[in-house]
Amino acid sequence: MVALARKTLIYEWRRFLPAAVAIAFSGLLLLMQAALMLGIFGSAAVYVDQSGGDLWVGYPGTQSIELGRPIPRDSEMRLLMDADVRQVEPFQWIDADWRGPADRGGLSVFVSGIDAHANGLMYARVLDPSLRQRLLEPDSVIVDHADLPKLGMQVGDSAVINGHRIHLVGTGSGLRALGGINVLSSANTAHRLDNDHPNSGNVAYYVVKLANPSNAQVVAERLSAASGGRYAVWTREEFARRAVDYWMFGTGAGLGVLFLSAVVLIAGAVITSQTLMGAVAGSIREYATLRALGVSIAGLRAVVLEQAGWVGVCGLLAGLAVGTLALVLARSQDVPVELSMISVLLCSVLVLTIALVSGLLAVRSLRRADPATLMR
Amino acid sequence: MLKAELLQKSFGNGRAHINVLRNLTLEVDAGELTLISGPSGCGKSTLLSILSGLMYADAGRVIALGEDLAKLNERQIERFRLQHTGFVFQGFNLFPALTALEQVALPLSYLGFATARANARAMEALDEVGLGSRAGLRPDALSGGEKQRVAIARAIAKEPALLFADEPTSSLDAASGQIVIDTLHRIARQHDTTVLCVSHDPRLNTYAERVLTMEDGRILSERRATVPLEEISE
Repeated sequence: MVALARKTLIYEWRRFLPAAVAIAFSGLLLLMQAALMLGIFGSAAVYVDQSGGDLWVGYPGTQSIELGRPIPRDSEMRLLMDADVRQVEPFQWIDADWRGPADRGGLSVFVSGIDAHANGLMYARVLDPSLRQRLLEPDSVIVDHADLPKLGMQVGDSAVINGHRIHLVGTGSGLRALGGINVLSSANTAHRLDNDHPNSGNVAYYVVKLANPSNAQVVAERLSAASGGRYAVWTREEFARRAVDYWMFGTGAGLGVLFLSAVVLIAGAVITSQTLMGAVAGSIREYATLRALGVSIAGLRAVVLEQAGWVGVCGLLAGLAVGTLALVLARSQDVPVELSMISVLLCSVLVLTIALVSGLLAVRSLRRADPATLMR
Repeated sequence: MLKAELLQKSFGNGRAHINVLRNLTLEVDAGELTLISGPSGCGKSTLLSILSGLMYADAGRVIALGEDLAKLNERQIERFRLQHTGFVFQGFNLFPALTALEQVALPLSYLGFATARANARAMEALDEVGLGSRAGLRPDALSGGEKQRVAIARAIAKEPALLFADEPTSSLDAASGQIVIDTLHRIARQHDTTVLCVSHDPRLNTYAERVLTMEDGRILSERRATVPLEEISE
């Protein structure tokens, strides 16, 4: 078989370039959108993702971590009574008012009061032992280094939270949360910063470490059933997902992303199909000659669809290459981007769908390949 | 071999209605080059389209190789063309990306030829039109006459019983035109092919065994060559 589709594609590559570029940009846009969406909304679960522990215990029905309410202190004892529970750690979460340098005004911050000892579960993945050690000093806090400009602070500076003076003793990375600045402190410091005196001492969450993490689902159900409705128990994956789902679908942001994806898909398909139609029109007399010689319209269709397929694959590869560079750049600038294999695969499938749809649209212009028009 | 009886064809509707063919009857023999000449607009290209199965007539019938073309549906007529007819057009209509060999082998691959066999047959056809040595060249490296000979090779590679040519020399200079018409003539003789050529190029009249003159949708006159064509060609 003479490889008409491929040879034409290579020989007349300039003709097909706009289609490949359109596909590449569609792929790039979809990929970046997915990465940003996962990056931004993924940070809704930063408290869970960056911490150890297998179960989260909180107020029943809590949809996202910043919506938590205090749960009774005696929950800790109830949890520790279960034979599978190895460690229970309180996590205090306070909505607070930050006053830094005079020219910055006030900022709303979230204070995470954690167990700062070496075997603490909260933020176990981002705080090294020396940073944890520094948090044990009274009134010391840590923030993400990317938040420093917003706070107008340097490590070693002082600021005021809820009327109490604190010291910035260090920075971490991967601590940024959605909706506000995440400030880390020890449980004792957080307790002093908490102005909600009637409830002071109550915590919002307990993080639980199990003897056997693979049992998490079973233990979570058992503990939940025994709670008497005063608190709920989730596995870490479940709780992280709740937070991400709440932000992505509960706020309308997810719908916006879907809408934008649809626009990208349509724009990509329009440009690509126009280019492919142009390519078909450019060869219409040759195609008509093949029709005269008895080649079926299905045979010609296959040629156009094959070209669409190659354009799709080339565009996709270019889009992925540029996308990888853009992701590396974004990471280096602390832009929250996150990609999973599944989202890359999904983007690739969508991009190839654009190419295929464009090919099918272009195939229709083959109807003009009427051999009788070649006679004059 | 090829017979048309009382063909009628008209285009347009209402006041812009034009009768292109008016009860045209015609018989074309195998093994010779038949030329239909006439002024432009006389209906000769329409006649060629109908005789070759590219277009249906409004009335009358076409018998080609014993088949009544009007009775074949779209798919059957496509099959008929694939197996039995070759075409040469005024524009050469070659794919810019393909070499001469690939241009000729392409229709053969749609006929189900294996690659090696298609290439061998394509090479034979190119040798026959005298372009064996140019088989690896793309159209942009070929002259107008050479391109038309590649187009002829493409038409004859599948050894069709019927070969149709529409103004095959109109866009060529005199020397190239002569080579092309010689080639068509030789094909008719050597392969016993029915070659029907339509042209308003008066130079061709002397090279055809049979010249039909057409005007206003009818055959006006018919003339047989008086001098054996071999002598002209030599």
